[in-house]
Amino acid sequence: MKLLSSFKKELILASRGFYFYVELIFALVILAVLLFAIPQNFSGTSTEYLYFNLPQEGKEVFTNHLLEEDLDAKSEMVEIEADGKTFKAELIVTDEEEIYIVDSEEAVRTLAYSEKVIGAVLGLDENNQLHYKYYLQGYESTRLKNLISILNNESTDVLKERIDNQEVRPLSTGYEPLNDRENTIPPLIGFSGSLMGMFIMASYIFLDKKEGVIKAYAVTASSVWRYLMSKIFVVLLTSVVSGLIIIMPVMGFRINYGLLLLLLLTTGFFASSLGLLIASFYNNLMKAFGVIYLLVILLMVPCIAYFIPGWGPVWIKIIPSYPMLQGFKEIILPNGNIAYPLIASAGFLAVGIVLFAITNIRFKKTLSV
Amino acid sequence: MLKRIWTIFIRDLTVNMREFITLYMMIIPLVLAVGINLLSPGINDTTVNLALIENENPEQAAYFDDFAHVELFRDEQRVEDRVMSRDDVVGILPKDNGYYIMTQGNEPESVLEYSKLLNVLYESDVQLEDARSEIIEFGRTVPPLKKMLVNILLLLISMLAGMLIAMNILEEKSDRTVSAINVTPTSRRAFILGKSFTGMAVALFSSIACLLITGFYDINLGQAALVVFSSTILSLLIGFIQGLNSDDVMEAAGSVKLMFLPMVGSIAGYEFVTGNWQIFFYWSPFYWAYRANDMILSKSGNWPQLILFIGIILAICGAVYALLAPRIVKGLQ
Repeated sequence: MKLLSSFKKELILASRGFYFYVELIFALVILAVLLFAIPQNFSGTSTEYLYFNLPQEGKEVFTNHLLEEDLDAKSEMVEIEADGKTFKAELIVTDEEEIYIVDSEEAVRTLAYSEKVIGAVLGLDENNQLHYKYYLQGYESTRLKNLISILNNESTDVLKERIDNQEVRPLSTGYEPLNDRENTIPPLIGFSGSLMGMFIMASYIFLDKKEGVIKAYAVTASSVWRYLMSKIFVVLLTSVVSGLIIIMPVMGFRINYGLLLLLLLTTGFFASSLGLLIASFYNNLMKAFGVIYLLVILLMVPCIAYFIPGWGPVWIKIIPSYPMLQGFKEIILPNGNIAYPLIASAGFLAVGIVLFAITNIRFKKTLSV
Repeated sequence: MLKRIWTIFIRDLTVNMREFITLYMMIIPLVLAVGINLLSPGINDTTVNLALIENENPEQAAYFDDFAHVELFRDEQRVEDRVMSRDDVVGILPKDNGYYIMTQGNEPESVLEYSKLLNVLYESDVQLEDARSEIIEFGRTVPPLKKMLVNILLLLISMLAGMLIAMNILEEKSDRTVSAINVTPTSRRAFILGKSFTGMAVALFSSIACLLITGFYDINLGQAALVVFSSTILSLLIGFIQGLNSDDVMEAAGSVKLMFLPMVGSIAGYEFVTGNWQIFFYWSPFYWAYRANDMILSKSGNWPQLILFIGIILAICGAVYALLAPRIVKGLQ
């Protein structure tokens, strides 16, 4: 009962403040960005510059071969400017690439250098065998360079046929990938909703410390833990409301909102308890700022792994934001794994309770710091 | 007036050093720069991750290791467990007449195609020693991702400088010295400039140090300092507005999120949005700062371009100041 009344009081106070509305406005802005600025699928086309240093017949054979992949089976003559020079090129646009066929090796070299993409020259060696020359930037990994160097040892048609004949056995089927817009939701709600709770919670406490509220609690009938918990409830409420503002218009009713609420609440509880714990060690936000800032940056590292599928070192997985992002992703995935967000929620709740208990002991002992 | 500005600057520096906040703000970007150095080689080396059975075909494992990250497991079940884990790992396992590709089913198309290609090259006995292609490199050593992270770090530093100003002003407000300034010979302009110096000094020091730590010795540091200076002006402006209009640290903390939004949006816009749509980000000074930094870090720009970008940043800052000047003046009263 006391907890409920503390929560009500905190809520009224929060509704009079600026922060509560900033959260809501921020959620609306993110929603607008999601709906209007982030396309459903980012353009995945890459650019390549080619020069066929071959007799006319050879040039035509290779150009026609590339034209088969062109979206409208027609090339277009264009002019490209680079390094103060203008180059004429035949542009072939496929699903995945924009290929510019230029008329000199110098053009390939200049364009590859200035546009920072791969350039290739196809010619003949002294034995009249096809010879490939690639222009790379220099920062490509050794493994990628190795692959490029042997890629043309077999003919493209043979490779394509053998690749198509490879047997692939997926362990699970019915997987529908998220589009790019949906894929950006987990980091947005993870950081905007859950992790900012840490920062906001710490700010709340420092404000109250300054005003002597915590000391005043020692002489009231209510306990410190109720006071702390009522603060957490306010942060959780704002995080849930802002999370729903972002997610509902994009995902509609396709996702399990029970699971979403559970993960939003548990991750928010974890982050708020962490913020409380940090706040218990310092006098003011200025002093705690470094720790909070470093923690936020550390928690952002799994975002890199989230967007780069091939990069996922083991140490990334022990950073709490990793299961947080993966949990949100499973929730919005069609046919996502229900067990993962449930286990992640249980973990966040358990760690949150431990952090909260430690914080409570610290606040009870010191009453202020 | 210069003496007064200097006095305010020195006073801020002393107070901040006592609180360690300036030191934090100087040291944190340096720690992050070291972090970028540690992270980026691993990310740049990323091709595809393959899981194989240990000792089943050591020659194949060695072959794949030249093109991909290879992990070896004791048996098929362990490979399957690894493939089922959350990151993208593809298994290549023996079957009656060759090898098959084991996937979880949710890998991006590119990962699957890369794995298939490697298996085909192995089965076709295409060896590195027989490479027919010639590779010519331009000698660039900084991968794009590292450049992007350093660029983000530079913008973060200027944001931090703005926050430092906001917090300094909040402290002055709580000590009730802001209104006391009005009855001293120090003018408002001197107060503003003095307050801004700490943030600018921190931003310039941290930015140059981060560029050196991350290995950008050979870029034009003068150009970089100019961009940092111009983007810091915007952060200072926001810092002032935030500091003067917030009554307590809670309100300032809430608006931190609002400060980060245009910055993150501008970076995402520049990196991910295709050419024609970038026009929607032209209003953001962070977009121009990011673009100018990108030009400097990739050593591809020239002075006229840079001056244009800086001019745009300063013009936007000027417009924002003109719009918000009454609020700053009111806050100082």
